Amino acid sequence: MTTAQSVHAQAAEPAQPTRLAPAVSDPDTGGFFAAAARGEVALRYCAGCGAVLHLPRAYCWHCGGWDTGYRAVPPRARVYSWTVVEHQVHPAYPVPYTVALVELAGEPAARLVTHLPGRPALHPGQELRACFERLENGTVLVQWRPADAEEEANDDAT
Amino acid sequence: MSGTGWRPGACAIAGIGMTDFSRDSGRSDLTLATQAVLAALDDAGLAASEVDGIVRCDMDLVRHNDLAEALGIRQLSYWGECGPGGVAPCALVGQAVGAILSGQADTVVAFRSLNGRSGRRYGAAPASAAQQVVGGGATYDEFFLPHGLLTAGQMFALMAQRHMIEYGSTPEQLGSIAIACRDRALANPAAQMHGRPLTMDDYLSARMISSPLRLYDYCLETDGAAAVVVTSTARARDCRNGAALIQAVAQASLPGTQPGTMFPVLMRDSITSLSSRAVAELLWARSGLGPADVDVAQLYDCFTITLLLQLEDYGFAKRGEGGAFAADGGIGLDGPLPCNTSGGHLSEGYIHGMNHIVEAVRQIRGTSSAQVPGAEVSLVTSAPPPASSALILTADR
Repeated sequence: MTTAQSVHAQAAEPAQPTRLAPAVSDPDTGGFFAAAARGEVALRYCAGCGAVLHLPRAYCWHCGGWDTGYRAVPPRARVYSWTVVEHQVHPAYPVPYTVALVELAGEPAARLVTHLPGRPALHPGQELRACFERLENGTVLVQWRPADAEEEANDDAT
Repeated sequence: MSGTGWRPGACAIAGIGMTDFSRDSGRSDLTLATQAVLAALDDAGLAASEVDGIVRCDMDLVRHNDLAEALGIRQLSYWGECGPGGVAPCALVGQAVGAILSGQADTVVAFRSLNGRSGRRYGAAPASAAQQVVGGGATYDEFFLPHGLLTAGQMFALMAQRHMIEYGSTPEQLGSIAIACRDRALANPAAQMHGRPLTMDDYLSARMISSPLRLYDYCLETDGAAAVVVTSTARARDCRNGAALIQAVAQASLPGTQPGTMFPVLMRDSITSLSSRAVAELLWARSGLGPADVDVAQLYDCFTITLLLQLEDYGFAKRGEGGAFAADGGIGLDGPLPCNTSGGHLSEGYIHGMNHIVEAVRQIRGTSSAQVPGAEVSLVTSAPPPASSALILTADR
């Protein structure tokens, strides 16, 4: 049976499947999720030259440094792009939902993605604020919601 | 490619072959690969016993030894692979050229075989999404999949939306690309969308899949295979259908390429210019040609937006004007750059870029179902994310 077929087979079952959880113990990226569990948005930086290493990795090619680690950044971002997903491809992600690509206010060169329920009205540059979503297995995801009207994001959710 | 032995046109494509394209082949990937390679060898007038090299896509289920055994190849002296996925085909031809010029092989087969509709579907969520915990191990999926970013189509939708933000591109411009490819498929009896015209109303009223991309912005998940035979130009000239000269081939990544295979591309400085920009720079330098010299192009079109971005990256349209170029008839048969003349991935079939090379050779031979009269310079590109590859074929005149 192919992956796609097994996914659709699950969709026929009544229970809402569990959302996908991120691996949190990867030596390069785990610090991001450890910070999220503390309620922080953190990026990996080089202690030697200050370069942001995103997506996270252990070595800084800018200066040749290995002394790198996570540092909290302001929990604010702006909308860079988005897509409203109308065609369901996974049983744990019912449509419609929106995936937005955001650029961090304190580090515009660094982007993250967020899940928003429904079809929220978004515009480029719109200000967002981080929120922290605890999944069933206890892992915490950083999500982003419109800064001025968080409740609007859920208006279209069904 | 300033290396010893290389010169434009030193090697050539001597044979092309394809299977039928369908939604359910009823055959194994190995059978499809065998049929496509036998067709390519027959086209060249070569026997399987004369093949001594095989290059494959990393996502193909068929390995070198599977195919060598199925074909009855006496002895392989070279094999290689490239990827990920649709990035491979032009780079595979480059590997074949490298093997031939370095004396490691004389006759190399490049192939791609997949049951892309009835088997593994590339439009679906990745296999890893069947797990409860995703990512780690340098996949970087942990930053994307848990948020519901699951497919290539959703990633390209983010790029399309950003192109609309930066440049004001429109759905109608994307639609013009879908329609141009469909129009070419109407002339190609082997295309899956042969006999099924597409209007702008059809395009705009089709269901949204992942905004701003609608149904016809997506290519066709396909069962099938395609193959080409690469050899020295001297040898190709003795083959049944002559030589389509490999004027240049290039593969390239961008600085700040980002890790992983797909979604991390969204972390780059720009998501509206892709690694095809770097490939173009190398390709033009190596070939001594430029955008104005190209008679016909097969541009990788997993989605309409993918083709649009390459129009800009290869310099056929100014930055931000790829959509207007297409909507003004730029990629039509009578336009400055006839594109995807077999119907492309959007309307012929999605053989992960390999059917584009087959069609590029047909144009050089003058045998396309949508032939560009007198075509002598034929460009073909492979998938742009994360890195990419492309090649230019020229007529042996």
